Amino acid sequence: MREALTRAVDYGEKLGADYVEVRVQRIFKTLLTTKDGRVEAAKEGIENGAAVRVLTKGAWGFVTLGTLDPRLLADAVKDAVKMASVASFKVKEPVRLAKTKAIEDKVTTKPKKDPREISLEEKIGVALTVDNTIFNYDDRVKSCTINYLDLTGTNYFMNNDGTCLEQDRLYVWSRVLASAREADVFTSGREEIGSTGGFEVFDIETPEIVGTRIAKRIVNQLKAKTPKGGTFPTVIGTNVVGVFVHEAFGHLAEADLTLSGSVLHNKIGRKIASEAVTVYDDGTISGAFGSFKYDDEGVPAQKTLLIKNGEVMGLMHNRETAYKFDTESTGNARAEDFRYQPIIRMRNTYLAPRDYSFEELLEDIDFGYYLKSFRGGQANLDGTFQVGIEEAYEIVKGELSSPVRNASISGNTLETLHKVDAAGMDFELWSGRCGKGQTAFVCDGGPSIRVREMLIGGGS
Amino acid sequence: MADLKPEELINLGEKAVQVTMRRGAEEAEAFLNRSSRISVGIERGQIIRNVKMVDHGLGVRAVYKKAVGFSYTNMLTDNTLNETAVRALRSAKASKPDENWKGFPSLKKPSITKNTYDQRIVDLSFSDLVEMASLMLDAAEDYDERVFPFIGGVGTLLTSRTIVNSHGVEAYDEGTFVQCSLGTIAREAGKVTPECSEFNAERTYKINPEWVGKEAAKQAVSSLKAKEIASGTFPVIFAQPGLHGILYYTLINAVKADYVQRERSALKGKIGENIASDLVTIYDNGLLEGGLQTWRFDGEGVPSQKTTVIEKGVLKHYLYDNYTAKRDGAESTGNALRGGLTPYASTPTLEATNFTLTSGNKSPEDLISEIDEGLIVYDVQGAHSSNPESGEFSVVATPAWKIERGSVTYAVNGGMLAGVIFDVLKNVSALGDNLRKIGHLVAPWVCIEKVKVIGKQC
Repeated sequence: MREALTRAVDYGEKLGADYVEVRVQRIFKTLLTTKDGRVEAAKEGIENGAAVRVLTKGAWGFVTLGTLDPRLLADAVKDAVKMASVASFKVKEPVRLAKTKAIEDKVTTKPKKDPREISLEEKIGVALTVDNTIFNYDDRVKSCTINYLDLTGTNYFMNNDGTCLEQDRLYVWSRVLASAREADVFTSGREEIGSTGGFEVFDIETPEIVGTRIAKRIVNQLKAKTPKGGTFPTVIGTNVVGVFVHEAFGHLAEADLTLSGSVLHNKIGRKIASEAVTVYDDGTISGAFGSFKYDDEGVPAQKTLLIKNGEVMGLMHNRETAYKFDTESTGNARAEDFRYQPIIRMRNTYLAPRDYSFEELLEDIDFGYYLKSFRGGQANLDGTFQVGIEEAYEIVKGELSSPVRNASISGNTLETLHKVDAAGMDFELWSGRCGKGQTAFVCDGGPSIRVREMLIGGGS
Repeated sequence: MADLKPEELINLGEKAVQVTMRRGAEEAEAFLNRSSRISVGIERGQIIRNVKMVDHGLGVRAVYKKAVGFSYTNMLTDNTLNETAVRALRSAKASKPDENWKGFPSLKKPSITKNTYDQRIVDLSFSDLVEMASLMLDAAEDYDERVFPFIGGVGTLLTSRTIVNSHGVEAYDEGTFVQCSLGTIAREAGKVTPECSEFNAERTYKINPEWVGKEAAKQAVSSLKAKEIASGTFPVIFAQPGLHGILYYTLINAVKADYVQRERSALKGKIGENIASDLVTIYDNGLLEGGLQTWRFDGEGVPSQKTTVIEKGVLKHYLYDNYTAKRDGAESTGNALRGGLTPYASTPTLEATNFTLTSGNKSPEDLISEIDEGLIVYDVQGAHSSNPESGEFSVVATPAWKIERGSVTYAVNGGMLAGVIFDVLKNVSALGDNLRKIGHLVAPWVCIEKVKVIGKQC
């Protein structure tokens, strides 16, 4: 493999590329979908492929192909250089890359339970046990869809800066969607489990624990009321804090989006949040779904401080944006697989815990909402965000009260971050997938927090 | 390899089916896809992201004792073909029988489609695409100096699909796509507008990059000086991107037989009932000329068709794939989708094709002029957090503008729209004449009465 990569990299240089990088992947996936206890299809697949990325006269050329054929790899290098050269005539401000250390390394995964050694029958068994647990919880449960994926394989990386890596990849992921119905009230819930550790993730998040958690949520929501629209003091649970930190803040701190005009533009060193807010993006948490040793530009992952006590300390970078900011790459360049270019992605993004107990967060609120789990979220470069809430409760006189369904929150990220007046000592990380033209496996989370006022929508 | 001819692809499919059957499968199906994409990407005002992608692959479904197994590969050699067949069958054996499994579809002649392939798209050179991207970029930048085009590009796709199954289905189709898009923001006095984008996507070579660039810029400029909106109930005009947002996660799911059979649809048992304003007629038109989802056959080889979903407000028909149809004793409506970047790598899912809301006769100007106080919503944010079961949604309208006394006045910031899609459908009061394709939707601008808007001031 090393020889083939060297040849491709050398060829790119010979054709005049300033930077050449070749990635080769061998991937094996097992996928499962069950719907209401029925196995829709058990699936296995193999994907091999290569990606060539070159920088010529300040423009990128990228070619991906689903083959490892050396002859075609050479053609790909040629095509990439040609595309970059043609486009470079229009470039006003050439792309350049921050320097990195050349690294040679081989990274192997050592799971306790390698998903490749677990039978398909056992994987199906786990999914069906979750399904069973959910349906047996209450007869108002109407549907349950479970997806399972494990991905194993090896990534090879080489560039003309002298970095050469061989890195094993291992992901185990499952998503559970369930719904309940009583008369005209429909409720639904979702949950994701993800790990880079191994199949042992199901020893902690057992099918029974996961199933019961989601079943309880959707059944409780059947008697929930819809929220009053308006602005209220709000306590946000760890799951919703996660999606808020990721969607509403995290994307704005991806340096490519910052450069594209996100509201964090020119905010480094400035205070954008209350004292209670400290945020990290950390690629080094062992076993977490967003962790890895080297990113897809061959840069080591690290723990990156984004906000410290309300002040912006840094952004998430790849080599291209790091050069523009005159800093170093933070190792956030990730590609879903050989079909994609590495771009700036989050890893495990979280708000740091403080010292409030959950009861203390609630106690001063006369009437407000506690937002426990989310359904989805989205944000805009201008800092407006929206998060759909699956499970919420009213807070009445400092205590949790009636369940509330179908709420949603929205607002402006920076205004909201200033209104965070307390952070709890509880802490949880949640696994998920993030889309930015390609999928990345990530975690997000934090402690429960209190926001003085939050715009609550939903209901009808 | 990337140059495999249609006959060769069919041969590979036949071989995969034969091997799977010989190994003991009761039924087998092979799906092959081949695609080649080129795109010229714009990032922060520059054409610097240039991509070429060539991929192909095979997906095999095997049935054993009413259990379905699947396997795929992106390498097409005799060896991997055999391996894929073996794996598919092994997966079926590891799986559980499904009492509702009643077999793959049988042979039917693929439909005839129009304007789904254009040789001019295939012949476009990389330099042609750079030129188009450049035109689009210039049009946006020349419109107003406050505009910053930060993302976009021009791209082409040539793709083919082949399906063979053990019941005699054997079909091939190929198609072309060309698209251009530009996302912009405008900046003034430290304020940033929301993302404003415009696009063209077509099957034949008739896109207008200059128009896209100019429109995206125009939208961004008119989003400056936004005001906050007070809560209330207003008539709202939805442009196609906003409409796509609220329909895709609610109504489109609710008419899928899969959702109906699993009690996940509020439209269960409502065939023949009035569920929308009588202005609303919707077809799922898999045969739409030049449609973004138009193919001769679906992901299981069932001929594409035009299905009446809602006629003058009355629910007529659900959307079926082979499995859900056989479960209901109905016919598949050709709605099995093999989608995504690598269609061979997944089993079919039930999905709308060109979900077409028929147009009315009002020009966009007429629609606006008839509103005394209301909103025009170009796009919405957060639609994917809608509740697919109940049809409840709660989204941020962005970009959006206030309409006062029949004219668009100013941009509004951060207003939320909340409601239930089935109420929305009943409150459709006018339809534009400006039909447009976006994703799985084809629709005009739509005016909806009594939409709940939640703003910062109550």
